[in-house]
Amino acid sequence: MSEAPVLLEMRSITKEFPGVKALSDVNLAVRAGEIHAICGENGAGKSTLMKVLSGVYPYGSYAGEIVYQGQEVRFSDIRASERAGIVIIHQELALVPGMSITENIFLGNEPRRLGRIDWKSANRKAAELMKLVGLNEDPDTLIKDIGVGKQQLVEIAKAFAKDVKLLILDEPTAALNENDSQHLLNLLRGFRERGITSIMISHKLNEIEQIADSITIIRDGRTIETLDVKGQGINEDRIVRGMVGRELSSRFPDHTPNIGEVFFEVSDWWVRHPVSAERMVCKGSSFNVRRGEIVGFAGLMGAGRTELAMSIFGRSYGTYLSGRIVKDGKEIELKNVADAIAHGLAYVSEDRKAVGLNLLDDIKTSVVAAKLSKISKAGVVDKAKEYQAAEGYRTSLRIKTPTVDEGVVKLSGGNQQKVVLGKWMFTDPDLLILDEPTRGIDVGAKYEIYGIIQRLADQGKGVIVISSELPELIGLCDRIYTVFEGTITGSIERRDADPETLMKLMTSTKKMQMS
Amino acid sequence: MSRFAELRKHLFGGTTSNARQFGMIFTLVGIVALFEILTNGLTLNSGNLITLVSQYSYILILAIGMLMVIVAGHIDLSVGSVAAFVGIVVAKSMHTYHLPWPAAILLGLVVGALIGAWQGFWVAYVGVPAFIVTLAGMMLFRGGNQAIGNAETIAVPQGFRNIGAGYLWEVGPDTGYNNLTLLLGLLACAAVVVREWRARKTRQDLGAEPAPLWVSGLRLAIILAVIVFATLRFAGGRVGTSFPISGIILAVLVLIYSFITRNTAGGRHIYAVGGNSRAAELSGVKLRRVNFLVMVNMSALAALAGMIFIARASASGPQDGLNWELDAISAVFIGGAAVSGGLGTISGSIVGGLVMAVLNNGLQLLGVGSDQVQIIKGLVLLLAVALDVYNKRQGRFSVIDSIMRPFRGSTPIPVTPTPTPTGTEPAKTPVAG
Amino acid sequence: MRKLVVRGVAAGAIALLALTGCSSRNSNDSGSDSGSGSGDAAKGGFAADSLIGVSLPTKTSENWVLAGDLFTNGLKEAGFKSDVQYATGGVSEQQSQISAMVTKGAKVIVIGAIDAAQLATQVEAAKQAGATVIAYDRLLKNTNAVDYYVAYDNFKVGQLQGEALLKGMKAKKPTGPYTIELFAGSPDDNNSGVFFNGAMDVLKPEIDKGNVVVGSGQTDVKQVSTQSWKAENAQQRMDSLMTSTYSSGAKTLDGVLSPNDTLARAIITSVKGAGKPVPVVTGQDSEVESVKSIMAGEQYSTINKDTRNLVKQTIQMVKDLQAGKKAEVNDEKSYNNGVKVVPSYLLPPVIVTKENAAQSYANDPKLAPLTK
Repeated sequence: MSEAPVLLEMRSITKEFPGVKALSDVNLAVRAGEIHAICGENGAGKSTLMKVLSGVYPYGSYAGEIVYQGQEVRFSDIRASERAGIVIIHQELALVPGMSITENIFLGNEPRRLGRIDWKSANRKAAELMKLVGLNEDPDTLIKDIGVGKQQLVEIAKAFAKDVKLLILDEPTAALNENDSQHLLNLLRGFRERGITSIMISHKLNEIEQIADSITIIRDGRTIETLDVKGQGINEDRIVRGMVGRELSSRFPDHTPNIGEVFFEVSDWWVRHPVSAERMVCKGSSFNVRRGEIVGFAGLMGAGRTELAMSIFGRSYGTYLSGRIVKDGKEIELKNVADAIAHGLAYVSEDRKAVGLNLLDDIKTSVVAAKLSKISKAGVVDKAKEYQAAEGYRTSLRIKTPTVDEGVVKLSGGNQQKVVLGKWMFTDPDLLILDEPTRGIDVGAKYEIYGIIQRLADQGKGVIVISSELPELIGLCDRIYTVFEGTITGSIERRDADPETLMKLMTSTKKMQMS
Repeated sequence: MSRFAELRKHLFGGTTSNARQFGMIFTLVGIVALFEILTNGLTLNSGNLITLVSQYSYILILAIGMLMVIVAGHIDLSVGSVAAFVGIVVAKSMHTYHLPWPAAILLGLVVGALIGAWQGFWVAYVGVPAFIVTLAGMMLFRGGNQAIGNAETIAVPQGFRNIGAGYLWEVGPDTGYNNLTLLLGLLACAAVVVREWRARKTRQDLGAEPAPLWVSGLRLAIILAVIVFATLRFAGGRVGTSFPISGIILAVLVLIYSFITRNTAGGRHIYAVGGNSRAAELSGVKLRRVNFLVMVNMSALAALAGMIFIARASASGPQDGLNWELDAISAVFIGGAAVSGGLGTISGSIVGGLVMAVLNNGLQLLGVGSDQVQIIKGLVLLLAVALDVYNKRQGRFSVIDSIMRPFRGSTPIPVTPTPTPTGTEPAKTPVAG
Repeated sequence: MRKLVVRGVAAGAIALLALTGCSSRNSNDSGSDSGSGSGDAAKGGFAADSLIGVSLPTKTSENWVLAGDLFTNGLKEAGFKSDVQYATGGVSEQQSQISAMVTKGAKVIVIGAIDAAQLATQVEAAKQAGATVIAYDRLLKNTNAVDYYVAYDNFKVGQLQGEALLKGMKAKKPTGPYTIELFAGSPDDNNSGVFFNGAMDVLKPEIDKGNVVVGSGQTDVKQVSTQSWKAENAQQRMDSLMTSTYSSGAKTLDGVLSPNDTLARAIITSVKGAGKPVPVVTGQDSEVESVKSIMAGEQYSTINKDTRNLVKQTIQMVKDLQAGKKAEVNDEKSYNNGVKVVPSYLLPPVIVTKENAAQSYANDPKLAPLTK
């Protein structure tokens, strides 16, 4: 297999966004007919690399060159790369729910005769493609009526309708159950036998170990290494080491924790997915937080950490089934967000712009938005107090802005995050849940936010930090829970926490035997 | 900052959305001046100003409610039909069942609120889009009007007519003016001065930099001059006329609702829901209750508008309220509200409504046919909103530009979420001032 | 600094006071000249080049368009300034148009109302400003501020329609009983009821005798009215009648009482659409299409209420008022608007069928060629 010619080579790819170097001198070589996995942490640059390859970022917006089938190619958009036989299947499926399987397969690529869509040949071809991907459905079935696993197959059929030579799958099994995942993996093996080359991005290392021929590991926008699975006898541990193998320098302020007794406890927490009734997003999760403690939640994308946090925060996600919350020795019921706030919970969401802030607001209205009652009398807001509160946080959190009358939309990500932190500190919470508090924030601001989190803990509050960056959790947290597919798989004290241990727990259902 | 920018920043408040209002006020002044010249002084004639106010008071009342609906991210197409429905109910209650008119007004408001509760229930608790609910309401209550009124016109008694066609009493010595109107003008002047003084004081107490004194003085001078001028005009009309009672109702509502939207938690919640409903929900705002109350409020105001209209028309008819929703919605959008919700002010909507009113009135004074008036109004609406969109786009880029400039090269900036390819955007836009 | 500001403001206010001090209080509102202040315009007369306002309902009917043109030209010839407006936007627009005319100082305002009961406030304001108000074609209700009413004798129109209907059916089928359907105009138009009552004045005795039968049984004015005089509404109702009453073939429709031509054509369209023979259909207004239809033998009759004569009469009234005379009226007792009996000038209508069309329209440049 290793003698096969190189189909694709990406050389010295560098891609910069304003202020951020997403890819720096990345190299990737994919041999014809192999399954090539790309591994890396969230934000390492995998998706960016694939967008460069597929023309989402057109030629000219990146540096470096792409050699495909022995020739340099310069794609101007997705259609150009598709014409060359490179098809990417994104994590979020690009299907129209109200259209049939056939219609979706040929969407934008309809077989025409005399200017009209030739449905007869479309249906015939659709049937062939569906057989190819092992999809047993009536071609007229609407997409919304089939499960997500089958939808994934439709996406692949759609790729084959375009004469694919190089198939790129971004987290193809992230949303699939065990059976569907296995079917998909078998399908990829079948394709390999037919000489089709695949690139697969996945967090599920066990799957990669099963199926990949070679693995390229990317970290912080750089190529770390390319491993030959069969030749070198690669296992999960080896991949993990490559993914996280960076030294932890002093990216965190010094901090001596002062941890009290347990004051917040969640037990046997079950939550169902809001739409799909069979899917559980929290499967009997139990955890606790002590006063003054910073507790981390580690897990891969889609593991259910955000869902767990939001379902606790006033049932703002999914359908609550069962479970108890005990705070300060008393069982409490948080039926809505207002309840949660009243009971001293605060949740800083992972998506600042979509759900954390009203981007139309100015800083002062944003800061007081979650607890207007604190500064109002008989429903009338005291604007002087509002201004004072905002000014207070501007100084203490060092929000870089001339005045608090400024719109939040004008602030940088780090400063916006500080506004959100201020907003929730203003509610005087006992427990702060911070979901990806440093996502999209530059290094300097990160350091400041770590400091704020530590100060909050020192005030005797409990802080939960959800993060996809293991070094961040290890550097910041006193204790880390690992979550995999809705289940809490471990609880690691700071002294025992290292990336390998965590990554293992984050990628397998096996619960660690806790001492 | 140049003098002009300073003026612009402070004259009508500080935030970005006010820049738009600033422009709108100038447009209004411009239109008034234009027609004043074209009509040889008829536009600002006492009689014309008085009719103008009483003619558009009900549309402006609708605009108040509509502003809140649109800020919350909805729309209400049913206001005209609701007004007509309440109108016929009220007229009939007085005509056929001899209800005293004050009781009839109360009845009208209650019926309006009930209709609002009905629509609010579907919008907030069932989750049917307001567009659909109120489209249904538009037919429902238009039909209701005709069913109850047998598609006939029913007259209303004299006492009731005061809320739409009434004027203040003539009391006190003969000053050559309506004394009560003068008094109102005086009160308004005093209120403006006190407010300005207190606003300065509050900002000083907080240690924030207040507007420069000359700006405060200029602003005060302009506002007072306008009030004095308007007062004399309204007070100096034909004997027996004054600032109309419907105008007073409108003014009171504007004050109350401006306060609610700006200074109360409930008002904040409306903006929060419209600006980002998910963020609002995660901040503990009760989405459903906000949506429900906004719809209830709208229909109650529509009921009031309907009653003022039939009072002015002296009868309730089957064609009442036709196309009012369009006038109210236009006023709100000309006044700077965002189609996607979350932005807009009561005062902006009133100014927007007045722009349309003066335009309409001025063209009629010129004897321009109603076909052409409609064409012109349509174009004005389109241009006003297009200008807004254009400004916003410019604003957005200059915003990014202004963030980037001080940090360029040193501090990394997060990727802007704007998916538009850079090539199609104007590379550089001048920032005003 | 603050003192300076306060002083400046005070100075400004005083300047404004001075500026606006010459208030127009106690005189009427007319911006141009202050003519007769008293409410009764008949006493003094007014300048010969004064503004005359004409407010008409819609541009959707030929008759109103014609009337508007005739007013514009006629008033100009008579030496007046005219402001002729159509209120296509509904009652509230007509209200604001009338107000604008008052502001401009119109001496006489001629109003063809959309809804005759909803203009009281504006008409009263006009009156107080010293204008004379003439209700044109539709009587303004519930106000004593209307001075004159000029129209065709609408009760007579109804009677003529009723008679024509009977005559037309008899010509087609010598003996009864005849099956008919009734249509009335818009319920918000005062005239609708007058037409209908006039027609029923003739038809009711025949119905009581059993000589004429209303096929659907719908005889109440509320059941048979046509909202807003809209053709589509009449057509919809006729469509339903054809389905409910005449589709079985058990009944044959002999005649339809239609209050005007627009509705008559809509009714004929509907009957034809249902595949039935065209019955005897009455009309009114002498619209071009209907005259063609009459000549083609479809619509049976129309009424010639020559708009020219009506406009001519109205302008004559305006001239009389200008000269300080009382306008001529010929009926001072029939038209009570709910508050007062309005002095009226009624013109006689003429029934037109295929037989007398040529003669009736001989003087009409537009219609005469159609009858040849």
